[in-house]
Amino acid sequence: MIEQLQALQERALARLQEVAANEDLARFENWRVEFLGKKGELSTALRAMGSLSAAERPLVGQVVNDVRAALESAYTAAYAQCLAVVQLRQEESEALDVTLAGRTPFVGAEHPLQKVIRRIEEIFVGFGFTVEEGPEVELDYYNFEAMNFPKDHPARDMQDTFFVGPDLLLRTHTSPVQARTMEKRHPQVPVRIIAPGKTYRRDDDDATHSHAFSQVEGLVIDHGVRMSDLKGMLLAFARQMYGENQEVRLRPSFFPFTEPSAELDVRCIYCGGSGCNTCKQTGWIEILGCGMVHPNVLRMGGYDPAQVSGFAFGMGVERVAMLLYQVTDIRQFYLNDLRLLQQFVGLIR
Amino acid sequence: MKITWSWLGEYVDLSGLTPEQVAAGLTDAGIPVEWMEPFVTGVQGVVIGHVISAQPHPDADRLRVCEVDVGQEQHLTIVCGAPNVAALQKVPVAVVGSRLPGGPIGKSKLRGIVSEGMICSAGELGMPVRLMAKEQTDGILVLPDDAPIGKAIVEYLSFDDRVMELELTPNRSDCLSLRGVAYEVGAIFHRTVTMPQVTLQDVRANGPAVSLSAEIDTPHCSAYAAQAVTGLTIGVAPIWMQMRLLAVGVRPISNLVDITNYVMFEWGQPLHAFDYDTVSNGKLVVRQAFLGEQLTTLDGHERALTPEMTVIADAHHALGLAGVMGGANSEVTERTRTVAIESALFDPLQTRRTSRALQLRSEAGVRFEKGPDPAAVTSALARAVQLMCAYAGGEIASTPVMVGRDLREDAVQEREVTVSPARVAAFLGVAFTPDELHSVVQRLGFQAFDEGDIMRVRVPSRRFDIAIEEDMIEEFARLLGYDRIPATVMEGPLTPGKLTLRQSLRRELRQHLLAAGLQEVWTYALVSEQAAQKALIPSDHPLAHMGALQNPISEDRRLLRSTMLLPLLDVAQYNANRRMQDIRIFEIGTVFHPYRLPMDVQPAEMQVLAGVLTGHAYAPSAHGDARKLDFYDAKGMVEGLLQRTGIAGQVTWSRSQEPFLHAGRSVDISVGGIRIGLVGQLKSAVAKAYDLETVFYFELEMDALTALVKAELHVTELPRFPSVERDLALVAPRDMPVQTLLDAVWGHGGTELREVTVFDVYTGERIDSAHKSVALRLHFWHMERTLTDDEVARYMEQVLAAAATFGVSLRG
Repeated sequence: MIEQLQALQERALARLQEVAANEDLARFENWRVEFLGKKGELSTALRAMGSLSAAERPLVGQVVNDVRAALESAYTAAYAQCLAVVQLRQEESEALDVTLAGRTPFVGAEHPLQKVIRRIEEIFVGFGFTVEEGPEVELDYYNFEAMNFPKDHPARDMQDTFFVGPDLLLRTHTSPVQARTMEKRHPQVPVRIIAPGKTYRRDDDDATHSHAFSQVEGLVIDHGVRMSDLKGMLLAFARQMYGENQEVRLRPSFFPFTEPSAELDVRCIYCGGSGCNTCKQTGWIEILGCGMVHPNVLRMGGYDPAQVSGFAFGMGVERVAMLLYQVTDIRQFYLNDLRLLQQFVGLIR
Repeated sequence: MKITWSWLGEYVDLSGLTPEQVAAGLTDAGIPVEWMEPFVTGVQGVVIGHVISAQPHPDADRLRVCEVDVGQEQHLTIVCGAPNVAALQKVPVAVVGSRLPGGPIGKSKLRGIVSEGMICSAGELGMPVRLMAKEQTDGILVLPDDAPIGKAIVEYLSFDDRVMELELTPNRSDCLSLRGVAYEVGAIFHRTVTMPQVTLQDVRANGPAVSLSAEIDTPHCSAYAAQAVTGLTIGVAPIWMQMRLLAVGVRPISNLVDITNYVMFEWGQPLHAFDYDTVSNGKLVVRQAFLGEQLTTLDGHERALTPEMTVIADAHHALGLAGVMGGANSEVTERTRTVAIESALFDPLQTRRTSRALQLRSEAGVRFEKGPDPAAVTSALARAVQLMCAYAGGEIASTPVMVGRDLREDAVQEREVTVSPARVAAFLGVAFTPDELHSVVQRLGFQAFDEGDIMRVRVPSRRFDIAIEEDMIEEFARLLGYDRIPATVMEGPLTPGKLTLRQSLRRELRQHLLAAGLQEVWTYALVSEQAAQKALIPSDHPLAHMGALQNPISEDRRLLRSTMLLPLLDVAQYNANRRMQDIRIFEIGTVFHPYRLPMDVQPAEMQVLAGVLTGHAYAPSAHGDARKLDFYDAKGMVEGLLQRTGIAGQVTWSRSQEPFLHAGRSVDISVGGIRIGLVGQLKSAVAKAYDLETVFYFELEMDALTALVKAELHVTELPRFPSVERDLALVAPRDMPVQTLLDAVWGHGGTELREVTVFDVYTGERIDSAHKSVALRLHFWHMERTLTDDEVARYMEQVLAAAATFGVSLRG
């Protein structure tokens, strides 16, 4: 009996090899029914055990179980192997040219000026500033008078103005938002705002001038604000915007609404300060105008310059974008050539 | 403002300093030197020669053979083609081996005669011929008779003098004079300033005397000084004076005119010289012009004057426009023997308005507009008189005339500014020592007096920009160095930085559209006069009523846009013309709706999110399933935005009547009966006007969205019991909006109806042409229990009954 069982095992395994060589999954089932099924050869052998003596039965039983285990594991392995081969063949037959582009979605990019404004906003919001906005058609009062440009003052010549009505103009800078904010908030402190927005000057459009452009204005008013705070704040800004190791320097300048006034330079972002064409060999690049809020401006805004002080700053967004992205003609920003704007897709910062 | 190095050195000690150091110092102190270069470059080895003889060339009619003494042992033979060359002239000679801007000079043979160099014209020397008189630039440059033979021309004509262009901020008009710059350089480098010591002199005893008087008959002139000088010989100014004027961009004219200009640059005080003999009775009157009065100014233009303008006149007529330009009738000419020199203070505002009205910009006008230093008025007059006596053979012919405010030097008030050193420290964040503060005051040429804790600073009238403590703080900071200010961290309470709801929404919707494949653009707010017409917006449409600029720079940028449609279509056209097919753009921009035209109050400014779509629905690929955008893509884009805003469920859609939109494929979007936006296909005629084919436009008003936005959420509990779905295949009249059907379904589906979706709309062969098939799926669920089939069946019956009233039936 034991010999028969061993012969059965050998035969079954030989058949399994034949089946596997055929790579036909249906024949596996036939093999399983033939050898391991309820009416299969092994079951038949098992039933024949009833005629054995009580002494032989456990021995033969053990052999039957061993044979069953051997066949089952051989079956599982052979089946799995064959299945893998068959599936692979199927998938090969369904293969696509995976190098072909997919159904690529259209992807839009933030406009570069918007991108710059957002970066500046994010930095100052992180510093505890809020974002204020104001009208583009502005009253002469907010644009000029409240900013300490008296009527007929030569300082108004610095900003050639579009007029739309009596004492009504297109704002020449975002500074009127300073005046409007003070009017709204006085006498509360602290004031910490930035004001991005579009501005207009009566300039002929060329590579470096645009009749429409954008600025971001900043204003801080509090007790005991110092010019050194201005420098510290703008240094922190410059380091976030232009690189961790940035340095800044202040140079004397003039704006009617600040006193003292200054221009702020950062180390040239291209040469790092050694001198190149971008920085005209000076190692520095001017990025914004700033200063301590003029007492006349504070007074007109409802604050007492003896009690509080403040600083203000303003930067041209186009200038920043031209620097960062090496755009050489300011008109490119408003031409909206999709071939240029789409280059900004994927630019994370 | 241009200055030259040698000229500056007349007034301030520059020993031991280089021009580069001074330029850097000025720049650091807030007076940027834009550029610095030699007056004339490229000339080397050119010397002054004396033409001994000039004979006709034997073989050429136009050439002359000159014998020229250049101070060497041998006279040179030079062939010269200039018609004006003549014996006994002093001329610039480029000898062999010298260099001109055009190149090096060698020996050359001209029609058989060897020329040992070249006699030069002003142009060949690289001088600014544009500013020079014709006599000086036609042919060779003839030098004054006293020019020293053999001397280098570079030295004689100051070609190596360094010219600096200063970029002055409006507050520093004190530096519109050499005197002002000298004081500034003195303050920066601790140097003393020495101006020419001049005082007004009376007429010499027994000297020639004429009668000169003046009268101010207007509030627009605060002081008027004048003096007569006679015995004058009109000629050219000394060569050094001419060269300095040329270097700073002023045209040399004659000794008298050049002297007034020279003194104006020196002191910052504009002067004017009248031909005394044209002034009736020697009496000058400063008054407002009469209505209809006319004056021909020095530039030859006849000017119509208005009573807002101030003139200098005699008893009969105007002789000049105060502070702006003299009149031709009193101009100094070759016959002039006596002049009345004027030095006055005119109202800056008045001068500015007059020069604006007449569009007349002059060096004098620029200085009067800023208000010159009262303390310089008489000094400048005295200086001009002195120079006219020295360089034009003049002699004082009248006592100095002075009317108006007292201009004697000690009578001009110095301003006093009080400074608290403690406040300086608190304001700047750096504590300068009292010694440092005092040193700055002294360097500036101011005076300071300590009084307890404060300093009283006396500011001379030349620095009219310094009026308050903050102005002095700036002086301290810039002269001790802005670098001394440290970078500190702001003190005070922490404030939360944040965006407003409106700002956050803007970012959210921008990101949404970027992800949906729309490119953000930025367009100009100013559009052309024809823009509305191009988009077929009729002239009586509200959008055609746009605010206009009073002073546009071009017709293309004249009106304030009333709709984003116009600029966005321009962008689409620009890109379509560059062979771009898939144009998907948006902008969040401002539009302007004036209350009245012309505008007299600020218009309503509204932020609008708008987009233009044309081309494919998806980027075309190799997979053969490209599809062009249609109305529902555009509408879906807007629905996505409304979902993103959380208001999709609140809007109603109704056919739009906008004239630029396709009548059957456009829709107004409203909430509570108020339109908040629209979306639709553009009329084909509009599309065609912009070189486009099928194109869609949408807009949403940001303020409306901000007011409606979902800013809070309390979640609805999820159903715990299974929902029941029922499909309905209906036949409806073909022109019936599906929305009508949906409204009926929602109205009669009972309280347990939670969702209705339209999953198919069919028109075609399998249904008659008057009808369409609409397939709906209805979802019912109850929060507390499972719905029974009977309940749902009842709801469905109600729905069908309601639908039947619109002529809708079950599809058989």
